[in-house]
Amino acid sequence: MAVLPIRLFPDPVLKEKSAPVEGVTAEVSALIGDLVETMRSSPGGVGISAPQVGELRRIIVVDVSAHRRGGQEQNHGLLVLVNPEILAMGGKQIVREGCMSIPDYTANVQRAQWVLVDALDGNGNRRIIESLGFEAVAIQHEMDHLEGILFLDRVVSVKTDLFRRKKYR
Amino acid sequence: MGHFSLSVVGRDRPGIVAEVTRVLFETGCNIEDSTCTILSGQFAMILVIAHPKFSSVAEIDPSFEPVRKTMGLTVSVHNLKEEEVSREKGFSGRPHIISVYGADRPGIVYSVARELARYMVNITDLNTQVVGAKDRPVYVMVLEVDIPENVDMKDLEREFDKIRKELSVSISVRPIESLEL
Repeated sequence: MAVLPIRLFPDPVLKEKSAPVEGVTAEVSALIGDLVETMRSSPGGVGISAPQVGELRRIIVVDVSAHRRGGQEQNHGLLVLVNPEILAMGGKQIVREGCMSIPDYTANVQRAQWVLVDALDGNGNRRIIESLGFEAVAIQHEMDHLEGILFLDRVVSVKTDLFRRKKYR
Repeated sequence: MGHFSLSVVGRDRPGIVAEVTRVLFETGCNIEDSTCTILSGQFAMILVIAHPKFSSVAEIDPSFEPVRKTMGLTVSVHNLKEEEVSREKGFSGRPHIISVYGADRPGIVYSVARELARYMVNITDLNTQVVGAKDRPVYVMVLEVDIPENVDMKDLEREFDKIRKELSVSISVRPIESLEL
């Protein structure tokens, strides 16, 4: 396993759409291991997507269990989601998000309160996952990366929603 | 290379940003940082600008003469020392949001700011507005602050309690939670 360099905006790879993974091969497993390690190496990092390390493949990794608030909410611990699809979503929540690919920026983004996701796990087994709160935000943020969408595309208002060059750790 | 602070204030109408940034573009200035908003019908711009050659106010200030004359804007330029220009926050601490609101009366901002200063709490953003009906004005202040690690929240809460009683305002303090993704 290795910590991979994070692609930073304006790297064009971040605006690309990722391709589905054909199967969880040894090579895909190795990439997943690297993603987990890369996420954990970032202070406060609770999620990462394959395109953030330059791999345009539909893989995301989320773990909010160590987060101050996320850890207190219901969560699945380490979640590896390959080819994730949202089956259903509902409710609203506004959460301040930051992104490793756009350092030093945080912004309030509106997301669904809960999501129902269909995906393959790290072993290639199909799983249906229901997620709430911060974990659901992390899943939605990372799934946006698979479409080439950044959280800046979802900021709703300049007046209070964009917090400039501040670190919240 | 010189850095300047630039402030522009004038009666709000379309075209102010276009006119000011046209001057900046044509004189070769780079906008490093900026925030602009409407305050009581006045459009207010505060910018940090950089110029590759100019380093004194005298070199850059005359460029704004047309904007002053044609648009009636108040424009002021000040020199910034290179070591004063930073992209990082100067003070660290735990980020919090504080909301203060109540019937409008003198001293609300000062009372809160005075206690924050006493505890070395750094204000990083501050927004105040008078809202509500004309005959029942309500003062609303929202602050973003960094509270130093060594400050006990109970001490701060005790000070806020005094202000709550003295000025009949509501004050709520909560940590800013963010997700790094």
